Amino acid sequence: MADIQKQFEEFNDVVRLKQYEHNANLREKRDVILKKLKERLKVLFEERDDDLPKYTHFDQGSYKLGTGVKPLTGDFDIDVGLLFEVDRDEYRDPVVVKQWVYDALDGHTKKVEMRRPCVTVFYQNGEEPLYHVDLAVYSAADSNFDNKICVGKGKQGSPPENCIWEEADPDGLITVLTGKYSGDDWEQFRRCLRYLKRWKDLKFPTAGNAAPVGIGLTIAAYNWFYPKQKIVDNYAGQTRTDDLGALLDFANAMLCNFNLVFRDGEYAERIEAKLPVVPYGDVFEKMSNQYMTKFKEKLQKLVAVMEEAMKEADPVEACKKLQKVFGDDFPVPERDDTGAKRGPAIITSSHSA
Amino acid sequence: MSSGICFCNSQGGLFKIGENALLQMRAYVQDDPGKAEAGGVLLGRFIVDSADIVVDQVTIPMPGDKRSRHRFFREAKNHQAMIDRRWNQSKHRCNYLGGWHTHPEPNPTASKTDIRDWKRALRQNQFDSETLYFVIVGTQEVSAWEGNRHTRLIKELMSIPDQEN
Repeated sequence: MADIQKQFEEFNDVVRLKQYEHNANLREKRDVILKKLKERLKVLFEERDDDLPKYTHFDQGSYKLGTGVKPLTGDFDIDVGLLFEVDRDEYRDPVVVKQWVYDALDGHTKKVEMRRPCVTVFYQNGEEPLYHVDLAVYSAADSNFDNKICVGKGKQGSPPENCIWEEADPDGLITVLTGKYSGDDWEQFRRCLRYLKRWKDLKFPTAGNAAPVGIGLTIAAYNWFYPKQKIVDNYAGQTRTDDLGALLDFANAMLCNFNLVFRDGEYAERIEAKLPVVPYGDVFEKMSNQYMTKFKEKLQKLVAVMEEAMKEADPVEACKKLQKVFGDDFPVPERDDTGAKRGPAIITSSHSA
Repeated sequence: MSSGICFCNSQGGLFKIGENALLQMRAYVQDDPGKAEAGGVLLGRFIVDSADIVVDQVTIPMPGDKRSRHRFFREAKNHQAMIDRRWNQSKHRCNYLGGWHTHPEPNPTASKTDIRDWKRALRQNQFDSETLYFVIVGTQEVSAWEGNRHTRLIKELMSIPDQEN
């Protein structure tokens, strides 16, 4: 009813994280790390009189897609892929390759950590996190007989069965995701995904696997988001972009895709977000049944609030409701600004009974 | 819905009486034989890019008005001053939308006097819209009517049930 597309677009402008090409600040931070890595790897391999395998880097994650949102805590996340020309048959343990990256960057900041999917370099100002760079280590397709790209999983001390090269297709993933929509539809896809990610950041605890992962929401959008315009004039065929309607439909579609499954000894309602490329796994897999239930409940709440906002005649009230789910960055217009300008009125005296 | 009342208007939009306006009017509910009829004008917004209309505030009985148990006379002057003030303050975005008064009955119906007065308002008042709205606050329900300035037809609006608990 109330048209609050303008407020959604303002919200988008506030929460959206610009991609590297428009974000010199984050690009510089990424480049500092890459430069450091290059210098230190060279020294490390010289010291042991060994040849450093060639490698290249590429951007991945939400930066590449342009679906990132500004973190609430200010802890920016930069995702980089390092594609090493190493043969998996020669380097059977990916932790060996990850260790090079770790050793090269250890000491660069106060905290560098090898995690199962990547090596993470944390930057902080005192105790306050500023940003962190996740470096995923890949073995290049050309270096392997099977011509497969694999990502190194595992960390120091992991049992050998957990240290594996897992087939991946980072380029293919981007190609598939960006190939679904184009133009205005793609822009709406990205805006709605950003709204949902901000909601996630606000409503879920950050620790563990309590929150649905960003890539999961992205895959969900790939599966179930549909662009939406609302008709404003049937005769003239006039339509207007409708982010609220699009996101509401998308959230409802997600709710419809929770299915009862048997897992961890019980029946639970779960939603899957399977990668559309190898290894085709469900990226929500790590969420426990309990967290899944919470996820569904929060989605239901989100839907209820959006439905209320949609029925609301007063855009001021509609935006106040949406602020409860999207946070204070969602703008509430000034009351008078939402009224159309009209001419003066002159009244006469009146009788009623 | 926020705590207000909504009706469907004839333009395919909503006519909403906002919480604040509703509280102002409900203060005059004639729920006691000693309470006299009250009334005033409706002020609010024609929501941009929509057919929705929202009543944000109302004027209440002012000096010059005459009140009895079953009659209310609204003297134009003071109410006009309020219309002008809000219209100017809001840079012409808070507008005169119509009038309201109370009835000492649970589900208010419009009297002949009311209908005649509303038609007169549609004819004589100057306003920059196609319609005026008329609200009667009963002891239980609030009813609303829409009047068309060209046809002077008055029709009661259907209210939308509140979906909050």
